Amino acid sequence: MPLSRRIQRALPNALSIGLTGLVMVILFGPVLLLALFSFNDSTVISLPWEGFTTRWYSEALNDDGAMTAIGNSVMVASIVTVASLILGTLASWGLTRIPFRGRPLVAGVHGSVLVVPWLIIGVAGLIFFSQIEMALSLQTIILMHIVVTFPLVVAVVSAGLIRFDPSLEEAAIDMGASQLQMMRYIVLPQIAPSLAAAAIFAFAWSFNNFEISFFTGGFEQTFPVWVYGVLRHSSNLPVVNAASTVIALAQVLLVFGLWYGMKLMTRRRGGSDHDAAEMITGAVR
Amino acid sequence: MGVPMADLPTVTGERPGRLSRLLRPLAFMSLPTAVLVLLFLAPMGILVYFSFQFGDLTGSTGFTLTNFTDILSDPLYREIALTTFQIATIAMIAQLIVGIPLAYVLAYKAGRFELPLLLALVLADELNPMVRIYAWRMLLGREGLINEALMSIGLIDVPIDALLFNKFSVIVVLSTSYLTYTVIPIYASMKAVDAGLFEAARDMGAGWFTTFRRVLLPLIAPGIFIALLLVYVPLFTDFAAPTLVGGTTGYMLGNVVSDLVLENGNLNAGAAMSFLMLLAAGLFSLVAYQLSRIKQGAK
Repeated sequence: MPLSRRIQRALPNALSIGLTGLVMVILFGPVLLLALFSFNDSTVISLPWEGFTTRWYSEALNDDGAMTAIGNSVMVASIVTVASLILGTLASWGLTRIPFRGRPLVAGVHGSVLVVPWLIIGVAGLIFFSQIEMALSLQTIILMHIVVTFPLVVAVVSAGLIRFDPSLEEAAIDMGASQLQMMRYIVLPQIAPSLAAAAIFAFAWSFNNFEISFFTGGFEQTFPVWVYGVLRHSSNLPVVNAASTVIALAQVLLVFGLWYGMKLMTRRRGGSDHDAAEMITGAVR
Repeated sequence: MGVPMADLPTVTGERPGRLSRLLRPLAFMSLPTAVLVLLFLAPMGILVYFSFQFGDLTGSTGFTLTNFTDILSDPLYREIALTTFQIATIAMIAQLIVGIPLAYVLAYKAGRFELPLLLALVLADELNPMVRIYAWRMLLGREGLINEALMSIGLIDVPIDALLFNKFSVIVVLSTSYLTYTVIPIYASMKAVDAGLFEAARDMGAGWFTTFRRVLLPLIAPGIFIALLLVYVPLFTDFAAPTLVGGTTGYMLGNVVSDLVLENGNLNAGAAMSFLMLLAAGLFSLVAYQLSRIKQGAK
């Protein structure tokens, strides 16, 4: 094969690898460097490398602001995840399996929450709570997070429910199963991967949410709001590095853990990687 | 996301009794719908109401349009709107230029790396946005890693100030923050395209650009519109990135809302600004959504 042809053949592959590599470096490089510099023994985060230390981690552990903010975020995100899974599963079932008058309208309202920017929902929440004279706190953050997060669960779980044939449910009922048995043995195993995916997204949405927490939190801070505050005043930076590294690592582990669980669930039923990819893309269709 | 829920298929089993026909939807839908009415529709309603009321500080009460006329007649706001439009549009185009080829690689070339790469994209989105902004600040700053590295190898003598606290840094941060939501819908629409079409196009003598423009692009147009819907609107309203890396030239509409509400305490003006942004977002979403529904796409 002449050289020019060989280059022509190899070029698309080289471009593919180059592009993918570049994107990965741009997406993850900065965060990896941040993690690296959380071990640098210097108060300024820059070169030169001054030596290895874990002192920023022990300072972060003793930093009230950081620990309170992380604790708040974990608590808020956990409550929001559970509440969103319950509300979202109820609504998905209602919207996909039960015909009722006004269903397109109700479905439309669920969908519209997802396209209203969080900044505007945050401002609306702030004005709303001031009008009903409810003090801004973690509770108000939780309420607003639930209302923006559970429609996402509806999107993910509905996508799962549409993919599977409702005649199985009818067959179960015909063979004498109660509604509850049908839900437990037919529906739940089918939508379990969707529920797992929805749980990952819901937790992350709440944990990472800045705008709504910022406007409806009053004096109580979640982790993103705390980082924002520290960065605005540019103090205490190496501690932010350490805390951020721990958070990023926990998020990586969480995503991989749940993904692995999802993979096990789909494999056990003879599914493939393709099903898992479907799960991720299903919600955006 | 969740947009097509309005036209889900209906299951029609045997006809249920009158009572259960009424009770079953109620049992499943009453709680979620109540939450939406109380915590989404009511706050949005109050936001709109506030935008048409005189503020506490003005001394008047009742219905007014001044909140809107003040905003629309202020040349400063017009300039900020223009900056916001520039930043959001450039960031969106940058993401499409990277995102479309990346989606292509994922859908057709990645092979066994397809799922891990997809997962990496999801992970990139899960990482805390504040942490990401902070990481970029550390890289781009005057004493940041890029400047220090360039100086230590002697490529430059004075640090480059143009890297941080301007439009450029906002665009960099925003483009990298939303890439996941640009790539995944386009990837999803590509997965639905029969790869045999490319071969057919090649057999008929089409070059790669013609194949892309005449075969692939029309078929993935719905995915691109979904990406616009998910990314372009949030780009317009972002205010954390412009506050933390934007300096004075990267000040965006989101900052205006935040400053009006929290710094000036002018809820009514903030509500009016939010309402205008909501209208713009709604109009844009409607157009993008309608376009995404045209299955064969425009040429």
